[in-house]
Amino acid sequence: MDYARFLRLRRPLWEDFARRLAALQDAGARRGRRSAATSYGEVEELAFAYRQVLHDHALAATRFPGTGAARRLAALALAGTHRLTRRSAPWRGLRHFVFHAFPAAFQRQLGLLALAAAVFGGSFLLGLVLSAVQPGLGNLLLGPRAIAGLEEGRLWTESLTTTVPPAVASSGIATNNLSVALAAWSGGVLAGVVPLYMLVLNGLMLGGVIGISLRYSMAGELLSFVAAHGPLELTLVVVAAAAGLGLGRALVEAGDVPRGEAMRQAGHDSLLVVLGCLPWFVVLAAVEARISPDPSLPVAFKAALGLGLVLLFFGAALAPHRAGDDADAASS
Amino acid sequence: MADFDRDDEQGVPRPATGGAAASILALDNIRLELPVANIGSRCLAGVIDGCAVAVLLALWVLFCSVLALWVSGTWAVAAGVAGIFLVEWGYFAGMEIATGGRTLGKMALRLRAVTAAGSEAGAGALLVRNLVRDVDYLAGVPLMAIDPLARRLGDRLAGTLVVHEARAPAVLLGRVPPGWGAREVATVESFLLRAGELRDAAARDELARRLLSRVERDAPELLAGLGRPAVEGPVGMLRLALAAEER
Repeated sequence: MDYARFLRLRRPLWEDFARRLAALQDAGARRGRRSAATSYGEVEELAFAYRQVLHDHALAATRFPGTGAARRLAALALAGTHRLTRRSAPWRGLRHFVFHAFPAAFQRQLGLLALAAAVFGGSFLLGLVLSAVQPGLGNLLLGPRAIAGLEEGRLWTESLTTTVPPAVASSGIATNNLSVALAAWSGGVLAGVVPLYMLVLNGLMLGGVIGISLRYSMAGELLSFVAAHGPLELTLVVVAAAAGLGLGRALVEAGDVPRGEAMRQAGHDSLLVVLGCLPWFVVLAAVEARISPDPSLPVAFKAALGLGLVLLFFGAALAPHRAGDDADAASS
Repeated sequence: MADFDRDDEQGVPRPATGGAAASILALDNIRLELPVANIGSRCLAGVIDGCAVAVLLALWVLFCSVLALWVSGTWAVAAGVAGIFLVEWGYFAGMEIATGGRTLGKMALRLRAVTAAGSEAGAGALLVRNLVRDVDYLAGVPLMAIDPLARRLGDRLAGTLVVHEARAPAVLLGRVPPGWGAREVATVESFLLRAGELRDAAARDELARRLLSRVERDAPELLAGLGRPAVEGPVGMLRLALAAEER
């Protein structure tokens, strides 16, 4: 077949395909991505035309390389591939995410969660012991002003909660916690070093701070302050770090799949876990800014609230889910 | 067979993208070359996006300042903190999800993030590739520099690539002299595509006349009846003779 005849015979088909593709794109832009579902017949015609364009592209690339027709067909084939094929599963709605995708991903990471909790717990105990044997640790962790306040029977948290309005505190706490969680997760790509560092640092600091409070007989006041928000906050930080460890594990121990593929799968799974944690940080910020510093609320109420939030979170994360949702992990 | 006195393929137009190409196998195992964007385009798009983020942040701070003056200082600070967080973490992922893999920088340079198979990337993949930007600010550029597909860490994690958007302004010849092969056709099409941009009119017309002489030698009937060379000029005559059409 000569070039001119090839163009004469096949060009109307290419123009038609380009027109249909543009129409599909316009409709998609108007009605929202991917919801531009045309009729079954139209989809079938489009798929058939795409296949013809691909075959024409193969012919032109072989017989007429470098010509305008070859370039036009390559562009059309690429545009068709981009628009008409899709490897990842489409977004199946918030309800599916909350009740199926998030619990499924969370439950696949329980082993890593146990590891992260163990690292955090070990660091906490180490911090507690260090604060007992090293009195100078207080100055290092909290600074001399906070230590002077403790000697006078005041917690350093008072100044934070009395000088900053609750709305500003909520906003600051939420964004800070979200940043920490996202950094703990994304830092997992560095072979899990960043989440490990965050777990150890937070465990050491918490243990050290509680140890110092015990030394000054202020542990009761401190626990009263953190009772409402502390349990869930620590849980979420450990969960985000565990998700980051999942990324690191895929890099270090890819198993029998290519390292890139292992990281891609781990990235999708751990992202679901982190995304599922994000709304809880917003709830947490409101509790930390409004309920935790309120001295009029009884400690028992704060502790019950803290425990209730943790139970609610684990209830949502460990809820039974559909068996088929395991497929979510592989489809990003 | 006509010969344009070239013994290599230098006369064949090359893709205008200038980047590396990744091969994918599409339907029926047909090979497609993805025009992968190289590190230069990626960094330039990143600089434009950085400017866009700075402008957005400045506008948000301005809005919050007005809010502080007219409504409430407390709520203005709270909204300011939340807004800055959302812009910093959400601009790239939000834009790419909303526009199918493009940010303002990518739109300016006609780039798009796609899956490694050339298809549209899903929201999950776009989120993953953008939420690890903090790490990529450190490691992204060296990784792109050593990777033939210019992938940063986020791309590897999400299984994505950034490609030049397909655009193929092309001149197609409706008539071809007998014996002309792909190289001759490609040379004439390429010349006609660029003829409007050539500043040296004398050189352009001279080249067109030489091409016309080859047409006359191989297929004189294509020039018969065209007449009016003084009106059309050599480039116009060449277009008419070969029924060239720009698409």
